[in-house]
Amino acid sequence: MAKRVAVMSPQTRLARSRRRLRGRWRMPRLDPDDAERALRNYRLQRRRGVAALVLIFAMLLGLPLLLRVAPGLTDVRLLGIPVSWLVLAVLPYPLMSWLAGWQLRRAERVEDGTGHGDGAR
Amino acid sequence: MVPALAVAAVIGVTLFIGLRGVAAMRTTSDFLVASRRVTPLLNAGAVSGEYLSAASFLGVAGLMLKDGMGALWYPVGFTAGYILMLVLVAAPMRRSGALTVPDFAEARLASPPLRKLAAVVVLVIGALYLVPQFRTAGLVLTVVSGTPYWFGVTVAGAAVAATLALGGMRAATYVQAFQFVLKLLLFIIPAVWLLATVGEDVRHRALNPEEFTHFERDTTVTFRVDATLEPGGFVPAGTRMEFPAGAQVPHVVGSTPPGGEEWQLPLLDFGHSGYPLLGTLAVLVATSLGTMGLPHVIMRFHTSPDGRAARRTAAITVGLLGVFYLFPGIYGVLGRVLVPHLYLSGATDTAVVAMPLQVDSGWRGTLFTTLLTAGAFAAFLATSLGLLLAVSGAIAHDLSPGGLGRLRVTVLAAAAVVVVLALFAAHLDAGLLVTWGFTVAASTFSPLLVLGIWWPRLTAPGAICGVAAGLLSSSGAIAVTLFGPPLPGVLAILVTQPAMWTVPLAAVTMVLVSLRGRPPAWAMTAMLRLHLDEAREPMFQPRRGNRSAWSSRRWWTVRRMLRRSGR
Repeated sequence: MAKRVAVMSPQTRLARSRRRLRGRWRMPRLDPDDAERALRNYRLQRRRGVAALVLIFAMLLGLPLLLRVAPGLTDVRLLGIPVSWLVLAVLPYPLMSWLAGWQLRRAERVEDGTGHGDGAR
Repeated sequence: MVPALAVAAVIGVTLFIGLRGVAAMRTTSDFLVASRRVTPLLNAGAVSGEYLSAASFLGVAGLMLKDGMGALWYPVGFTAGYILMLVLVAAPMRRSGALTVPDFAEARLASPPLRKLAAVVVLVIGALYLVPQFRTAGLVLTVVSGTPYWFGVTVAGAAVAATLALGGMRAATYVQAFQFVLKLLLFIIPAVWLLATVGEDVRHRALNPEEFTHFERDTTVTFRVDATLEPGGFVPAGTRMEFPAGAQVPHVVGSTPPGGEEWQLPLLDFGHSGYPLLGTLAVLVATSLGTMGLPHVIMRFHTSPDGRAARRTAAITVGLLGVFYLFPGIYGVLGRVLVPHLYLSGATDTAVVAMPLQVDSGWRGTLFTTLLTAGAFAAFLATSLGLLLAVSGAIAHDLSPGGLGRLRVTVLAAAAVVVVLALFAAHLDAGLLVTWGFTVAASTFSPLLVLGIWWPRLTAPGAICGVAAGLLSSSGAIAVTLFGPPLPGVLAILVTQPAMWTVPLAAVTMVLVSLRGRPPAWAMTAMLRLHLDEAREPMFQPRRGNRSAWSSRRWWTVRRMLRRSGR
């Protein structure tokens, strides 16, 4: 039988139980194997993260820029709806969902690779 | 009156689930174990449920009515924040074991002063984020029950504080996930009904905007805020004006009449400064980077069993928010046709709940008003409960430690302070209020988290200086907006939407001050711990009385290896 623990939300647990760690405290250490693996994860994730960041910022910068330089998009219509409205209200969401899925798969692949350096593809 | 009952019902159900629903779980197993089985999908529902606030439910459509199509950039930024979260923060944050940024500061940099500073920042963000929630809730209660604004705000504050103090503190993941589904349905169903009921003519006019120049029917406008009309001159708040059908619509000085050329601009041109691209980017920077630092959002990721699930949660959240945010635009364009006069009264936040009765004055209109009011209040409750608890936790445990009784008192006091602030916020621009909380989060916590997770050389003094620089510059800009003189052109954008320069300022300060000092010997280990995936996560090792030769040797092996491999 597991021990009984008061049921509460994570926020409540946090708010009620934040009274440890007074005084000196030392960083828990890493096994050499773990340190090596963490270092490899860190480097690969950093490289892949930068690519995803470039894409998302390109979208956040590119779409307003597109609407700025092509005001004529308001007059072009798709199913009766101005294209500029679609670019603003609909297009970003599928784009971002795709980007999220893409980055998620890439990030998980790094962790799935167990050897060294084979996740760099 | 009926919608007011719906609000009471939402509060009642939340209380009931908080008190009874979670208690039922206690018999099955330890909640901790249960929470480790929370799937990413359910948890993403919970994250979205807590994140979709009154500002999203009502505010975006209201901003559209007021500022034009460009207001739809706000939800884009709100959603993009979760991609940044996915890439930069979600998994390492979960792996650090920290629930909040003050905790993270302790785990990564072991600096009590930084922890206190972070707690102060939580208070500032919490206040700035809660005020627009309370303001919107107050405005909505005012509309559905006809009571004065101060009464609505006080009732909303009392409801949140009572729910939290009585038992809402137990509200758990599945309550929030249920809330997301509830909000989604309460938002989508009325939208579909509105679209189907308004008729061909309104749909056509919604897609072909024309400037709002003449009243179509007899309209009574109750001014919620002071306004200067042209023609008409100064009108104090609280004035009621009757406009007969066909009368010319007075122009409100300093705002955009719905439907005009400027209104249709799909970018955010603040105060007609003539720099719409800059204004849009300023909002996108603030909202997307700010999402990473919101106290109630970061906390929710802790319910994931591990870092991998936290990352999945962030990815699914992007999709869920994307579904929700397809709809504010529909309310916005319909609202411009159905309730354009709200732009005169300054109560554009109430556009969403005001629409059903314009379409159908019978029982259907009342029903859908009731549904929307209930949804808006559910949105308000979910966000405010999470934030108020985060704020109270920061006061009662980071700043001046005390017991549970203290926490309850703090909850009530914090709610009271926010109510007072919200009373004075009625006349403020909703768009500004919404972005301020995000701006402060973006210029303090997001550089701290990103550099803390990805840059081993970050030092505690660097983090303190950077957070302080971000806090002072962003809150200084807000103070100038509130109390300073009106500013022209680019300067106005840089001061009212300061994220464009405060975020780089904070980040550069952190980097420069850190480079001048030396990180402690364990800094690299502290950072690498965040990137170690769970399969081999070491168990927490309690401090030993005397270090064994073996553990010492192992420690030196790690150091040697790290040095050899550069950084």
